[in-house]
Amino acid sequence: MNALHRRTFLKQAGLSAATLPFITGLPSLGLAAPARPRQRLVFMFSPNGTIPAAYWPDATGTDFQLKEIMTPLAAFKDRMLVLNGVHNKVRGDGDSHMRGMSCLLTGIELFPGNIMGGGGAPAGWASGISIDQEIKNYLQSKDDTRTRFGSLEFGVGVTDRADPWTRMSYAGANKPIAPISDPYQMYEKLYGQMKDKENLQSVLDTVKGDLQKVGKLISAQDRRLLEEHQALVRQMEKEIATAKDQKLRATPPALGEGVADQNDNLPRLSRMQIDLLVNSFVNDMARVATLQFTKSVGGARMNWLDIKEGHHALSHEDKDEAVAAKLVKINQWFAGELAYLVQKLASTPEPGGEGMMLDNTLIVWTNELGRGSSHTLDNIPFLLVGGAPGFSMGRSLKLDKVAHNRLHLALAHAMGHRLETFGKASLCEGGPLKLTAA
Amino acid sequence: MVASKKCRWFVGLPSGLLLVSLWLTSPASAAPFSLFSRKPDGPAIYKQQCAKCHGPAGQGVKGKYNDPLVGDWSTEKLTRYIAKTMPEDKPGSCTGPNADAVARYIHDTFYSRAAQAKTQPARVELVRLTNRQHLLAVADLFRAGEEPKVTSGKGLAAVGYKSRTIRREDKALERNDGKIEFDFGKNRPQWAGEGTNGFALNWTGSVLPDESGDYEFVVKTANGVRLWVNNDEQPLIDGSVSSFKGVEHTATLRLIGGRAYPLRLEFFKTSRDPLANVTLLWQPPHGARQVIPARNLAPERAATTFIIATPFPADDSSVGYERGVSVSKEWDEAVTHVAIEVATYVAKNLDRLTRSKASDKDRAAKVETFCAELVAKAFRRPLTDEQKNLFVTLPLHSAAKPEDGVKRVVLLTLKSPRFLYLGIEGVQSDDFTIAERLSFGLWDSLPDAALTKAAVEGKLRTREQVTEQARRMLADARTRGKMQYFLHHWLQMNHIEDLTKDPSLFPGFTPEIISDLRTSLNLFLDDVVWTESSDYRRLLLEDDFFVNTRLAQFYGITSNATEDFVRVQLDPKQRSGVITHPYLLAAFSYNKSSSPIHRGVFLTRNIVGRALRPPPIAVAFKDGDFKPGMSMREKITELTRSQACQSCHSVINPLGFSLENFDAVGRFRDKDDNRPINAAADYTTDDGGIVRLKGARDVAEFAVKSEHAHNAFIEQLFSQVVKQPMPAYGPDVLNQLRLSFVQSGYNVQKLLVDIVTVSALQGTAKLASTTK
Repeated sequence: MNALHRRTFLKQAGLSAATLPFITGLPSLGLAAPARPRQRLVFMFSPNGTIPAAYWPDATGTDFQLKEIMTPLAAFKDRMLVLNGVHNKVRGDGDSHMRGMSCLLTGIELFPGNIMGGGGAPAGWASGISIDQEIKNYLQSKDDTRTRFGSLEFGVGVTDRADPWTRMSYAGANKPIAPISDPYQMYEKLYGQMKDKENLQSVLDTVKGDLQKVGKLISAQDRRLLEEHQALVRQMEKEIATAKDQKLRATPPALGEGVADQNDNLPRLSRMQIDLLVNSFVNDMARVATLQFTKSVGGARMNWLDIKEGHHALSHEDKDEAVAAKLVKINQWFAGELAYLVQKLASTPEPGGEGMMLDNTLIVWTNELGRGSSHTLDNIPFLLVGGAPGFSMGRSLKLDKVAHNRLHLALAHAMGHRLETFGKASLCEGGPLKLTAA
Repeated sequence: MVASKKCRWFVGLPSGLLLVSLWLTSPASAAPFSLFSRKPDGPAIYKQQCAKCHGPAGQGVKGKYNDPLVGDWSTEKLTRYIAKTMPEDKPGSCTGPNADAVARYIHDTFYSRAAQAKTQPARVELVRLTNRQHLLAVADLFRAGEEPKVTSGKGLAAVGYKSRTIRREDKALERNDGKIEFDFGKNRPQWAGEGTNGFALNWTGSVLPDESGDYEFVVKTANGVRLWVNNDEQPLIDGSVSSFKGVEHTATLRLIGGRAYPLRLEFFKTSRDPLANVTLLWQPPHGARQVIPARNLAPERAATTFIIATPFPADDSSVGYERGVSVSKEWDEAVTHVAIEVATYVAKNLDRLTRSKASDKDRAAKVETFCAELVAKAFRRPLTDEQKNLFVTLPLHSAAKPEDGVKRVVLLTLKSPRFLYLGIEGVQSDDFTIAERLSFGLWDSLPDAALTKAAVEGKLRTREQVTEQARRMLADARTRGKMQYFLHHWLQMNHIEDLTKDPSLFPGFTPEIISDLRTSLNLFLDDVVWTESSDYRRLLLEDDFFVNTRLAQFYGITSNATEDFVRVQLDPKQRSGVITHPYLLAAFSYNKSSSPIHRGVFLTRNIVGRALRPPPIAVAFKDGDFKPGMSMREKITELTRSQACQSCHSVINPLGFSLENFDAVGRFRDKDDNRPINAAADYTTDDGGIVRLKGARDVAEFAVKSEHAHNAFIEQLFSQVVKQPMPAYGPDVLNQLRLSFVQSGYNVQKLLVDIVTVSALQGTAKLASTTK
């Protein structure tokens, strides 16, 4: 069967290239050095606004002091870009939490719908794609940036409910993407094929023996077919062996067993997910990721911090000093998880490249609100860590009430996708934020 | 290899009939018979005058006359043909007794069917499962012993609640809804009474698709909905968050036709939603998007069916039916994909499948028992101790985690030749081989519990026992699926994809009409075959069709047709069975006009049962090539006038012309472009006789009385059921099947039982008395 014939045949049979390498090889191992450095982007989300006084540095420029919440990130101060003055200016249906969440990465209004929040008109899903998915689609459309998954959506303690409060990634209008909160499920997605292959390999010898045995039961005329079949099994055996020789750059992390998806396990779940995230990047399975802690209005009870009240309930009372102190601790904990991620990337050499992975990874830590008690969508805490073209790090900036759509444009440009507008076009006036130094 | 392939070609052909032109070489000397002998020597004449081009045994000679000399002309007709046209370069030099002698020799040595059977003894070959068999066998691997009884036609069971949340105390309505297509507008439905907290409706039951393939499910609503189909855990569509503008949710699912699948639709309107509406639609394979009709819904819940998603490379169908005679890398990979798919499914559902929990003390034992049963079911026979050890115990204990052990059992089983091939026990067949032949013959799938039980108890040993089982199995929906599969092949419906016509000439011939026509034909076929008389002749002679309002309107049929299909009697002078069904008439037509050639070829091959060679020259029909004002009949006559065309078109054209009373969308017409239609023609039968056909009904009447037509029908059904060459079951199988068929009043169901009995018992020795 010649090449063309086989291709036509596969097309007719509905077998696409995407389904076939499953068995014989690991797709996109990315062993060869890439033509240009891989650029990655991560959105990390934590809910319910921040405590502005304990978050925003007083000074701007390169000489600034980290406030309490950011202290876990002290070691990476020169890799940080603090962006004050970025507003989510999308209005329309839905309460602040809903718009805060579902317009955060989409930059466009929600549809009117049947979900009634704590204010405003009831709303439905976002009416457009989110920036992470827009960038992923762009990268997947190019041969040199295509990866097995393109993007991965991690969750930590996201409830099993689908509504505009729980979804920030959208494949398109009305098409929310559910993050995977169960690390075992994510592991299966990333590495399940390896296990399948191992199981398959373990039975092929018996299959061969069986074919031989059955061959003896049938007439010589019919044996030819079984012999051809046997040859195929031998070929598959060889291909699997060859694929096995192509080692993954990083072996899958060993996950502890039986960590249930429940409140008190959030610290363990968080680390498992971050380990998987970094691992998937080392093996170049995706260039874009989201890491969503709970959801907007998330009510995690951080017993491990000795805080007995739920996060969201506390956030309404942030003017109370004692409550504010708890909220600072909570946000500090999120900063600590971010620091764990940053640390891992900072200490892992860029696969097949120079420097460390953090140099080519930009992490955007964000939130659906500026502040919990006021439910404002102004001054959303946008903290960028890592590196990307067009971003001069190690600075604290006070911007002049810019729409967050312009930040998304800047992120897209850094990833090579030169969008002119994103989300609601009228909020893109001024173009991408200029975040290079002077 | 080549010879055996060619052999398959004859025996597998619908009619085994080939019209062959003979080209004989010119004699180098005078005809070889001695001055003193009276009889001409056939073999000697052949050797001298014919063999150079046709080969010493009629197998053909490359570059001269490539094709083997085979066919079903009578000796007389061969003689006439030879006398008139042979040898090629000197026609007329082999005539009279010479022509007669050489024709007789050719006919009896390699040309006729009987001669072929002698020279190339056919045999039952080792075959792997076809793709269809693979799909169905995996589905039935997980089929429960008792299936819930589901009766389609009644729609879904509906429960209404007077608030958006579903609480028992809010229940306000219980009824059946034929279809789900509701627009409540701004108001609450009456049954929901007064209230401010919205309302909700839950529909449950089953969906019963007619045909196999990908179904796109669509829910249109301005409110919250969730839809589950063939999966009780994961919704196919989750539209809890709605948009007032109305959202169209779609999702595609692969289904096997003729089976029932559980379906549940939840709908809720919140107090804020300004409007309330919901419609449940689907787009079936070969069909148009439509509200799911009541006849495809049932209020009872069916059990779920496991349907593999892996695509397979197409099966070999070079002999006219799909069969597993070859393996390829793509096939092996697909088989492996399926094995992994099934292994993942089993590991995920292990608790349910083994009726145990991971913490149970006897978990390991239960898992082992489940695995052993699964393997035995897949292999269609009990396991020996050695096999149990090899396929169950060893792999189960080879992995660290129990789920991986189970996965290995499944991988090993579904990649084993014992699952993948039919009849591997080979030399001596036992009770289980017979059970396997019955179930794959009638269902294309695994034996069920009752059949396996019969095999275990040794109750498949006599013809009566086998026939009794076959009769029992007829009642199963899977037999209907298989029958539909055969009928769709017979009528070539499996290849029909695009029936759209030029909209300026045939306005209103919409995708919905096309879809309705297919349903109409399916209903007709089911109706004829699955009534007690199951009379093959009715397929060709019946003058009533199924129509709904849409079809009635388009075809100008006055009837009390409703939205659903009803039987309507049509003019018997116009319509006669499947050959006049508009679906097929439209399928065998051009975009702008009828196509007597397509119709004629279809009638020749599939209805009157004569075979055709591929055309010697390719000629495209271009309407613009003809003088304006010519009728289609005149154009075709003109186009096929040459001698090369006529050897086949003398048969094709009269049959095709008989349907000229139907336009490209199957409407009856008296005129073609203002010229009166002439549908009458003289048809030359295989023995050279002439039959005057005045229209479609004459063709049908001719076919139901023609032995050739009966043979063709029997052979096609045999091919689809047995998937092996018929002569392998004895030289007289066709004859005996036909006698029995005629005796039974052309009962298709009985023919099916006869065929599967021949297959199960490997011959006709005991057939004669199968039909009462």
